[in-house]
Amino acid sequence: MEKREATMSSWNPERKQSLVGWDSHLSRIFFLLLLFVVSAQGVTPNPEACLVSSSVNGSSISCQPPAQIPKSLPADTIFLAVEFFNLTQLPADFLQGVPNLQELHLSSNRLENLSPKFLLPVPQLTVLDLTHNSLTRLPPGLFRVSAALCTLVLKENQLKFLEASWLHGLKALQHLDLSENQLQSLPPGLLENFTDLLTLDLSNNQLQTLPPDLLRGPLNLERLRLEGNRLQVLGERLLAPQPKLRYLFLNDNRLASVAAGAFRGLQKLDMLDLSNNLLTTVPTGLWTSLGKAARNLKDGFDISSNPWICDQNLADLYLWLVANEDKMFFRNHTRCAGPEALKGQMLLAVAESH
Amino acid sequence: MADAEAGKKIFIQKCAQCHTVEKGGKHKTGPNLWGLFGRKTGQAPGFSYTEANKSKGIIWGEQTLMEYLENPKKYIPGTKMIFAGLKKKSEREDLIEYLKRATSS
Repeated sequence: MEKREATMSSWNPERKQSLVGWDSHLSRIFFLLLLFVVSAQGVTPNPEACLVSSSVNGSSISCQPPAQIPKSLPADTIFLAVEFFNLTQLPADFLQGVPNLQELHLSSNRLENLSPKFLLPVPQLTVLDLTHNSLTRLPPGLFRVSAALCTLVLKENQLKFLEASWLHGLKALQHLDLSENQLQSLPPGLLENFTDLLTLDLSNNQLQTLPPDLLRGPLNLERLRLEGNRLQVLGERLLAPQPKLRYLFLNDNRLASVAAGAFRGLQKLDMLDLSNNLLTTVPTGLWTSLGKAARNLKDGFDISSNPWICDQNLADLYLWLVANEDKMFFRNHTRCAGPEALKGQMLLAVAESH
Repeated sequence: MADAEAGKKIFIQKCAQCHTVEKGGKHKTGPNLWGLFGRKTGQAPGFSYTEANKSKGIIWGEQTLMEYLENPKKYIPGTKMIFAGLKKKSEREDLIEYLKRATSS
């Protein structure tokens, strides 16, 4: 692969040094040395220029300040990164002339609005990263031609709500990241058409409740991140549509209540994180389908930093803990908050002596 | 004091979607990380790195990973890794401690 640098105004190969006045023999040596240095690995790129590299598949362009955003792009561009600028808007026709674009990285700008036509020129796009911008909404029809989009990252924007219609067209979506926004609720049927969705990240929002049918739609969701919200209850129905779920993060919520059948259908759960919630007790039968007996939870579980009341109601949990203790994260932080006689004791110790 | 247990959780939550650590683990969106420490950037066999990553030219170790994991796109401009970074120093330390153990024998 060839690595070149480019300035804003043109995409010509780098200009040769002007060697007027040098002895021709010396200048030849100098030029060869220069060529050698430039083609060696590990050359520090000129920060004033976008990074350009070429492969048989096409060109990759990566721009950060102090480089200038190019006015035109090579027609064979497949990867484009324009990041850390303070763009509030993209230039009109920004993606005109790059029909083969596969990856578009626009993180750390200040984009407030996207034109509804902005992605029309790039129907082959597979990755769109909009991390850390200022989006409050998405325009209708944005993803009209985005049937190839696999990964959509809207992390760290200012979305206070979502409309399912904003995401119409994303037939192939596998990874959806909506974390670190200000979502207080989600619309029904959000994931209805996302049959191929594998990961959903809703962490660090302000969600108090979830629509019970939230997870209806994907055929094989693997990872669900809900940590850092304000959920109080985990109901019976939420996880039912996803028996093959592998990773479930519910830590750092306000969960005080988990339904006895909440985990019933989960056949392949590798990790369960319930840490840092308000759980004082859990219903009998909650753990029946988890852990050694079910041959899941191979990566572990975490129930630490909850105000456990270590009474008879935890009998079922005690048995389960003893059987699965090798998979337990943060035993030292998994302690009884009551009753008074057991306050501060390690839950595992109480379980073992039960 | 770096906590490898905490680091393991961070890895599972924030990295495992794209990376494996074990010897012989598969490449996913990102490369398997076995053998990372002491290796130059962009060298996991069989993974298709960006030119930017391959030519960064540093050796992965505690210091370089501390810097990288705070803001990957600043450390390797042109990377295709989508990860905003870990702002908390303690989280990076924990993760690196875990990686040290999990990516070597």
